[in-house]
Amino acid sequence: MKSWPIIRPYVMIAPALIVFLLFFIYPIYYMVYLSLHSWDFISPTKDFVGLSNFQQLLNSSEFAKVLSNTLVYTFGTVVFSITLALFLALWLNRSTRIHRLAQTAVFSPYIISLASIALLWLWMMDPDFGLLNWLLSLVGIPKQPWLTDQNTALFSLILVAVWKGVGFNTLVFIAGLQSIPKDLYEAADLDQSPKWRTFYKITLPMLTPTLFFLVVTNVIVSFQVFDTVHIMTLGGPVNSTNTLVFNIYMHGFRFFNIGYASAVGVILLILLAIMTWLYFRLLSKRVHYQ
Amino acid sequence: MNYLKTKLTVGIAAILLSIVIPACGNEANSVQQQSEDGRPIIQFWHAFGGAGSSVEALVEEYNNYQNEVYVNATYQGDYLENQSKIQAAIAARNHPDVTVIEAGAIGAFAKAGALVDLGELVKQEDMSLDDFVPGLLGNSYWDDTLVALPFARSTPLLYMNKNMLEEVGLDISGPTTWDELEEYARKLTIPEERYGFTTATNTWLFEALVFQNGGEILSEDGKKSLFHSDAGVEALQYWMDMIDEGIMKNPPAERGFDVSQQDFVNQNAAMLFASTGSLGSILDSIEGQGFEVITSFLPKKEEFATPSGGSNLVILENTSEERQQAAWEFVKWMTEKEQTIQFSQATGYMPVRQSAIDSEDMQAIYENSPQFKVAVDQLAYARPRPMVPAYHELQVIITIEMQRAILEDGVSAQEALTAAAERGNELLSK
Repeated sequence: MKSWPIIRPYVMIAPALIVFLLFFIYPIYYMVYLSLHSWDFISPTKDFVGLSNFQQLLNSSEFAKVLSNTLVYTFGTVVFSITLALFLALWLNRSTRIHRLAQTAVFSPYIISLASIALLWLWMMDPDFGLLNWLLSLVGIPKQPWLTDQNTALFSLILVAVWKGVGFNTLVFIAGLQSIPKDLYEAADLDQSPKWRTFYKITLPMLTPTLFFLVVTNVIVSFQVFDTVHIMTLGGPVNSTNTLVFNIYMHGFRFFNIGYASAVGVILLILLAIMTWLYFRLLSKRVHYQ
Repeated sequence: MNYLKTKLTVGIAAILLSIVIPACGNEANSVQQQSEDGRPIIQFWHAFGGAGSSVEALVEEYNNYQNEVYVNATYQGDYLENQSKIQAAIAARNHPDVTVIEAGAIGAFAKAGALVDLGELVKQEDMSLDDFVPGLLGNSYWDDTLVALPFARSTPLLYMNKNMLEEVGLDISGPTTWDELEEYARKLTIPEERYGFTTATNTWLFEALVFQNGGEILSEDGKKSLFHSDAGVEALQYWMDMIDEGIMKNPPAERGFDVSQQDFVNQNAAMLFASTGSLGSILDSIEGQGFEVITSFLPKKEEFATPSGGSNLVILENTSEERQQAAWEFVKWMTEKEQTIQFSQATGYMPVRQSAIDSEDMQAIYENSPQFKVAVDQLAYARPRPMVPAYHELQVIITIEMQRAILEDGVSAQEALTAAAERGNELLSK
């Protein structure tokens, strides 16, 4: 058993390593491999085509649209849901019955399955007979086309994502707020600092680790939006809600172009990798830990 | 103590390995192979939501009727979802024996070599295909080999709310030309309350309009787009004008079938183009709503015409010889006269055999519910859908470009269709 001490660490990490290799590294390798081929997923042969899938993709106006949709969606969702969550958290960071009730209410969309939420909103957003337009009509605002117009469809999806995600973000912010030491606020009070300055000088800097965490996770999740697109718009009207992951699905499983779909997948992977790296490099420098 | 720990670790590692490794195996058809009473199982994936219970009833009948095999029918979502899953299942070598494929997608699967040559099986038993309704066999051949048998076949129909027609004093035999349809739609529209007409503005129904206007979708060899000719442009313009005037509702194209049918059933639209296959579910959902539904041919422009649609039964390649044979017996049975009558009666899909149409049972149904008969009469004008594999993608592009013309200011029908045609020519020439 002399060699045991040498082998032991490897045996220990083996389960994690195997899962990692099998479910992360191998799929990535296979995706890159497929992105260099033309294959319909059914026929026994895959034709090697080099970089032509990437060439096709970079020349495609559809892909440009898909990429910009994804970026707009991500930016909109992250900015709105985090700002809104921050304000909600500041308001709800108290423990009266009303506040606890409001906390629960805000959080509950998060635990409902996205598929049911999408169906519900689909009905509420019906331009002619939906609930939202009826509510708008009560206050005299004209009917909105919501999902049926290319100028408003992506915004409507953002709205759903914000509604669903804001509760979780609020909860994390509240946890962050409660971990800020009370003596800082007491000191500020003694100095008669106005509320906005206390917020700007104490609360916000002390919340940056939380903010940082939320931005990273929100961006990654938003970048991979699929369910709401699939159920509510199927990428339409006129590709206005066609996003990266949905585009991969369409090309891979509807049009039988696994090669092209994998190429889009590779681009998605690269983008997410760059973004994660950027966050850790740039944002982490500005994060304030106590 | 340390020894015990080590043993434990090795044990756990071994267990984990034993879970992971067999999962990488490449065994074909690792799904359950035998039914409870020991019969081999034939897996059948289908794509019928509304008509699903009718399909499953047929399968159950088959399981009682013979005792060689047990057919296990499972619903996989709509045609496209089912096809996605089939595709993935073939790649994983764990696919069902029998499935349904949408008429326009048969080519894509056949070209990839995924479908069993049924011609051989037909020849072996001296079976005649003459009884199949000829208009429905159009999407069954690839490279002159028979790869599919017609099963749940449909054409679009014009559905009308009889009470609304009577209310505004229109002839209930329905419009027979494009101009009349427009006139009807105008009279039936009540602003803010209901639309005169609605339909999914997608490629399948666009095909109908192009054919009616004397045009073609693709060239005969399937290498060139022809839908952007005057016939096609006029067709799209016809819809656009009605939408602009507010007498036709343009539902979100991607979910057009559901939304337009819902509007019709909820009496928010007076007329509708929808598949014959929806007849059963439409009649069911309006029960007790206090109005009657009548159907008629799609109106003509130059001529009456309609694409045929729906799905065919296929046997997937790579199952063993015995399973293939068993699957064939099942497919054959499903498309026989009695079964096709039963299925048609329950759903509104068309009977696929002439003998079924002529049968007393079917004639009695047509007598009682004439809505069912329209589809069969219209068959005389039915054309197969384009079968080239690239059309699978092209039809989505056509739908998107049509939406662009409808929704975006300053995009003309000609511009949008030409853009789709150019993209199409690229795809078709591959």
